[in-house]
Amino acid sequence: MKRYISLTAIVAFLVFTACDKLLDLEPSQSISEDIALTSDANVKSVLIGAYALFDDPGIYGGNILRNAELLGGNGEIQWVGTYIDPRQIFNKTMLATNSEPYAQWRDSYEVINTCNNILSALGVVKEADRDRVEGEALFLRALMYFDLVRFFAQPFDPSATNNQLGVPIVLTPTRGINESSNVGRNTVDEVYAQVITDLTTAAGKLPESNGVYASKGAVNALLARVYLQKGDYDNARKAADAVIASGKYQILPNYADVFNQDNNTNEDIFATQITPQDRFSSMTEFFSIPEYGGRDGDIDILDGHLDLYPAGDKRKDLFFMGNGAMRTGKWNNQYGCINLFRLAEMYLIRAEGNIRLGTPYVGDSPLNDYNVIHTRAGLVAAGSVTLDDIILERRLELAFEGHRIHDIKRLKQSVATWAWNDPKLVFPIPARELEANPTLKTQQNPGY
Amino acid sequence: MRRILIAFFVFCSMLLTAAAQQKTITGVVTGADDNQPVIGATVQVRGTATGTATDMNGKYQISAREGDVLEFRYVGMKTLEVVVGTSNVINVTLQTEELGLDEIIVVGYGTQIKSKVTSSIAKVEGEKLMNVPVPTVELALQGKSAGVFIEAVNGKSTGATRMRIRGSSSITATNQPLFVVDGIPITTEASNLSGASVNPLTSINFNDVESVEILKDAASAAIYGSRGANGVVIITTKKGYSGDTKINFTMQTGFNDPSHRREFMNAEEYISYFRDAAKRGDAYEDLIYGDPPGTNTYWQGHVENRLKRYSGWAKILEDPNNPSSKYLGSKVDTDWQDLAFQRGRIYSADLSAQGGNDKLKFFASGSYNSQGGILVSNGIEKFSTRLNVDNKASKNVDLGFSLALNRTAIDQVSADNAFSTPMQLVALSPITPPRDLNGELYNTPVTTYYNGLLDVEYASRNIIEYRSLVNTYLVIGLFNGMKWRNELGFDLYNLKENARYGEKTESGTGVGGYGFANYGQNQNISGKSYLDYLNSFGDFSVSGVLGTEFQYTTVETLYAEGQQFPLDALKTLASAGLITGASSTLTQYSFLSYFSRVNFDYKTKYLVTLAGRVDASSRFGKNNRYGFFPAASLGWVISKESFLAGNPLLSFLKLRASYGLTGNAGISNFGHLGLYSVGNYNSLSGLLPSQIPNPDLGWETTRQVDAGIDFGFFRNRISGEIDVYHKKTNDLLLQVPVPATSGYQTQMQNIGSVENKGFEFVLNTNNLTGNLTWNTNINFSINKNKVLNLGGQDIIDNGSTRYMNVVKVGQPIGVFYGAEYAGVDKDNGDALWYVNEQDANGNIVNPEETTNVFEDANFVILGNPTPDYTGAITNTLSYKGVELSFTFQGVAGNKIHLIGDQWMGANGVWYDNQLKSQLRSWKQPGDITDVPEARLAWDNGDQSRNSRYLSPGSYLKLRNVVLSYEFPSNLVNKVKLNRLRIYFQAQNLLTFTKYEGWDPEVSTDFLVNNIYSGCDFYSAPQPRSIVFGINIGL
Repeated sequence: MKRYISLTAIVAFLVFTACDKLLDLEPSQSISEDIALTSDANVKSVLIGAYALFDDPGIYGGNILRNAELLGGNGEIQWVGTYIDPRQIFNKTMLATNSEPYAQWRDSYEVINTCNNILSALGVVKEADRDRVEGEALFLRALMYFDLVRFFAQPFDPSATNNQLGVPIVLTPTRGINESSNVGRNTVDEVYAQVITDLTTAAGKLPESNGVYASKGAVNALLARVYLQKGDYDNARKAADAVIASGKYQILPNYADVFNQDNNTNEDIFATQITPQDRFSSMTEFFSIPEYGGRDGDIDILDGHLDLYPAGDKRKDLFFMGNGAMRTGKWNNQYGCINLFRLAEMYLIRAEGNIRLGTPYVGDSPLNDYNVIHTRAGLVAAGSVTLDDIILERRLELAFEGHRIHDIKRLKQSVATWAWNDPKLVFPIPARELEANPTLKTQQNPGY
Repeated sequence: MRRILIAFFVFCSMLLTAAAQQKTITGVVTGADDNQPVIGATVQVRGTATGTATDMNGKYQISAREGDVLEFRYVGMKTLEVVVGTSNVINVTLQTEELGLDEIIVVGYGTQIKSKVTSSIAKVEGEKLMNVPVPTVELALQGKSAGVFIEAVNGKSTGATRMRIRGSSSITATNQPLFVVDGIPITTEASNLSGASVNPLTSINFNDVESVEILKDAASAAIYGSRGANGVVIITTKKGYSGDTKINFTMQTGFNDPSHRREFMNAEEYISYFRDAAKRGDAYEDLIYGDPPGTNTYWQGHVENRLKRYSGWAKILEDPNNPSSKYLGSKVDTDWQDLAFQRGRIYSADLSAQGGNDKLKFFASGSYNSQGGILVSNGIEKFSTRLNVDNKASKNVDLGFSLALNRTAIDQVSADNAFSTPMQLVALSPITPPRDLNGELYNTPVTTYYNGLLDVEYASRNIIEYRSLVNTYLVIGLFNGMKWRNELGFDLYNLKENARYGEKTESGTGVGGYGFANYGQNQNISGKSYLDYLNSFGDFSVSGVLGTEFQYTTVETLYAEGQQFPLDALKTLASAGLITGASSTLTQYSFLSYFSRVNFDYKTKYLVTLAGRVDASSRFGKNNRYGFFPAASLGWVISKESFLAGNPLLSFLKLRASYGLTGNAGISNFGHLGLYSVGNYNSLSGLLPSQIPNPDLGWETTRQVDAGIDFGFFRNRISGEIDVYHKKTNDLLLQVPVPATSGYQTQMQNIGSVENKGFEFVLNTNNLTGNLTWNTNINFSINKNKVLNLGGQDIIDNGSTRYMNVVKVGQPIGVFYGAEYAGVDKDNGDALWYVNEQDANGNIVNPEETTNVFEDANFVILGNPTPDYTGAITNTLSYKGVELSFTFQGVAGNKIHLIGDQWMGANGVWYDNQLKSQLRSWKQPGDITDVPEARLAWDNGDQSRNSRYLSPGSYLKLRNVVLSYEFPSNLVNKVKLNRLRIYFQAQNLLTFTKYEGWDPEVSTDFLVNNIYSGCDFYSAPQPRSIVFGINIGL
């Protein structure tokens, strides 16, 4: 009997000493918050994490570009896909429950929170890299806010005060959920001001070259676009000129070579990198056909667009017949880069700024800039150029690259019967967000 | 097979004609308690079909030979056997059998005698599960006990099920019960990647099961502490016994067919319907753009283009007015639904042996089971073996083990939401031939969507699960009544998955073929050591357990994927030109627990049980790691009181009541930590915030009160149980939606409460005894689920255009919330919606007001996905070896969201083939119909979140039928057999329902969680299974 009792004691001892330790288990494929921001290497990993979020399909993995085309494309394209959410965007019958606005909202604020975390931990980054890390985080944050305000708010109108509701500005990292998490919307003017502040700071911190990551060129390119959207043509042409004058980028001789590339070309200032380890490009998914990894050919290109090209325009040759309709040929590589900023846009912005404001021209004359783009398309150099020519050139050159609705809004044009400032052309604040955040409850956009 | 069966049958029938010399025996059967004659008692010559029943005076007459054994049976009385001697008169007196007195109920960490049980436990005998043609043990349990809701999620062969004991108590954590097999809490989660999750419980060979006990209330489940809140299913496998070895062989074969089909448009209907829808789409465009009628013609062109495309660009479409040249010479009319289904074959063979002596007892079995699915390329095949050994090593030492090894192979199909899943073939157009003239399968652009048949031909998803379940024990008798029991359990569950998608498949296109290999291992080690005490002191008896247990689980996965295979025939990643991804993961959790239970009784009349457990788990935050789960229960056997003893009407009556706490720890393993996880960009790996910390995170606590009555009347010919209970779950583990502007979508918090109230009723009656016996078992239960508190925020996924399950205070979990469909505007064909505007008190201002604008319709509660009422009735009739048993089982009170009808029942908004019901869409002013005008490309009533797509979910199924014939043993003995039985068995033979979809027993497999229940999304119906089988005992 005694031996059984001593056996009990031994077993009990072994069991308890072994088990108590087993209650403190740490995860193996994620790390705790305390560790993530405490070293140079980890903060830099978090910066890569911010880019990983940036290339989510809901935003710069493609849908943010696609949605700009669907919102503004009536008459030139036709959504024929089976997904109901993009169809609502195209038909301007969006509900506040539409998943596309929510995806953009959610993904953008995830990037913003990640950037805010990086910006809060710059102290542990090696001094040599600190400016670069800060600049990249500021660039990504500014890019998010710029597109949030363009989609979720009434357009910026240079002739008005712009105190219409924009999106909530959050500049500090989230450490817990409390009352202060219920942020309200800032004005459109405030959001633009924040974007410009971030970008101006970032421009002073980033190197001219930075691999496929945000560089000084990317910051200036975004600044040029922001100023153009605001109607601040002088700053727009100056920022565009800074990119062109840096000499880092070149217009490729052959238009078709700009697209469907696995790696950035010399014309790319900043592009989303898609690798087979990621999800495929959602531009390919919707604009292309199964042969290239697309869906069914969810977006038909109509004659309304194709008829805009003059005879001999090589850009028109890029279109092809696939699955019973015309398709753009820009997105036929499911693992190809998504061109977000390329040099051609900078020429067109500089040309537009210069022709609107006149001499002294910044950089070069509008005609010369226009012809850089025009002749690359295989067309004869023009002898003179008007604002309308430049606007049309922009429409053809940058077609299906995510500019259409934003150009319509800043040029105060219309989409079919919807005027540039029609509430139907503005995304609803996601209904889910109104439930989770009582402050937003009264701040829904008109029409939802 | 069939031929062999028939031959066997004929052979055995011939034996029947053999007879022997008989004499006539007469007598009277009386009852010992009242000395009155027993009417309807069975008298049978053992081992033969010869039998009779006593008459109104308790008299009988039967033919038998000297040396034969007569068996006297009567319900509620002990069976008596008398050897026929020289006398021709045999009078007997039968003793009363106390209801359940001898019946042993397995409880947590021990067993109890049923009449002393004070908590609510349902027991299902293993023999009721034998050979039921279903893939997993839970489905064999369907309809067998009150308060236990079990449904297959769909009709695929993977055996995925949902099981709820007394309702759902959690919103975010699991609601599945804890499964304990021979004392080991086993793994119930799989790690496969292709298709929906498979069910690891399919590995249990339910022919090995001795009994299944389901612990329903807190008093019985509290001893499982933080994992007891959803109830506990204890599965006990068969043991050996002391005596001659019995060998049992069963073989069965049959087939699975889909239990229901839906009606789709044929080619002719499709063409004319969509041409019309295009015209109407254009006309609608004129209207909303303010253009003169006839301006817009885009869709009319589009539809012609698509019809050409979907017909494989056949020329014949061009003249719509020439009936002979409509579409491919009228020859193509593809029934895609038919192509999705197949007849699946069932084969199984099961061999077991049971026996031993006083020192060593054993049970051994080996089994093969193969079930072809009703969907093309779907099926499951199982091998299982088991050896249970018990050894009495010395007077005070018992030891033994149970060892089970299983292999389950599954031919998996994609989840319900994948284009490649066979059921989504129904979306394809009937004008599309499946194959081109060269015999190659068409794909898009000819097919409307990806042709899932390409997956059948060019893809494979093979899952093989290996499971070893081992439990060893050592029991040492310490002193009088005190035993020390030690157990070590090991559950090793391996899953091996090879998926290969050829170049023509959806996943393989454009990347030169695609494949992945996935390997998951789930190691679950548990050990326990406890003292078990049983003793009595005069009229008092005491029993109990006290001990400790730990469990440590590690889940590891390894994964690699590749592209660019030179040939489809090369199946493994060794042939992949490009390895595109590889990863391994590891996650762990542990529990450390102390438990005890004490039972007292006085004269087996007054019963008290106290139980409790202290649990600590790695899953919870440091601030909240230990929890205590106590329970108490009382019982009073009134029928033992002197004023009721010997009452001829009431044979048994027990009142019982229990109260206790149980917990639910079924959440992710590191839910309390603030985490960064890994994301990739440009082939570099980075860190991104993925979870907000919550160091206070703990378990959910469920308080449950249960009161019950166990009763028996007329010598227990009528017996049953009635239970009422109230469960309240507090500190819900909840993924609370947070503002996305924080960078997060949800945070895991302990917040809110849910209530389940219910009533359970079980009635067993012996309607006829004697030669013809007829027993009826009825169980019926009501459960009302209600969310009481959510910390101020309802969970409404407003980001969804597809699903409408929400969680709202005052409503059951997962209620449907959306716009209320009001039919069709007879003037213009618009879908109409009830406005349902609510005043400050939540009352609808004007219930009749409708609108044509979906956005103007306020969302309201539309129905409950979970049935309030469940029940089953089983009748068993037997006459001289022939037995017929059939179970009707049903649910009532729920609705189902036909999510897939947003495409197939969408009045032609897009080119998906439409249900025939859509033909009645509105055509002209004045039409009164429930289907809005078909307008190609314009939403008109096809918004998913609306009551048009809700359908009643109540059903009554003829769930199981068994017709068998047991050959008399004296005949069987002549061919040197112990037993011979042939049977026919059918599952899901008939379904009565108003449900419009395939099968109301559904919860689409890619979306199975607590909130999204009652959703049907291209979900396969349950198979109707029919088998023929033979049992042979040696």
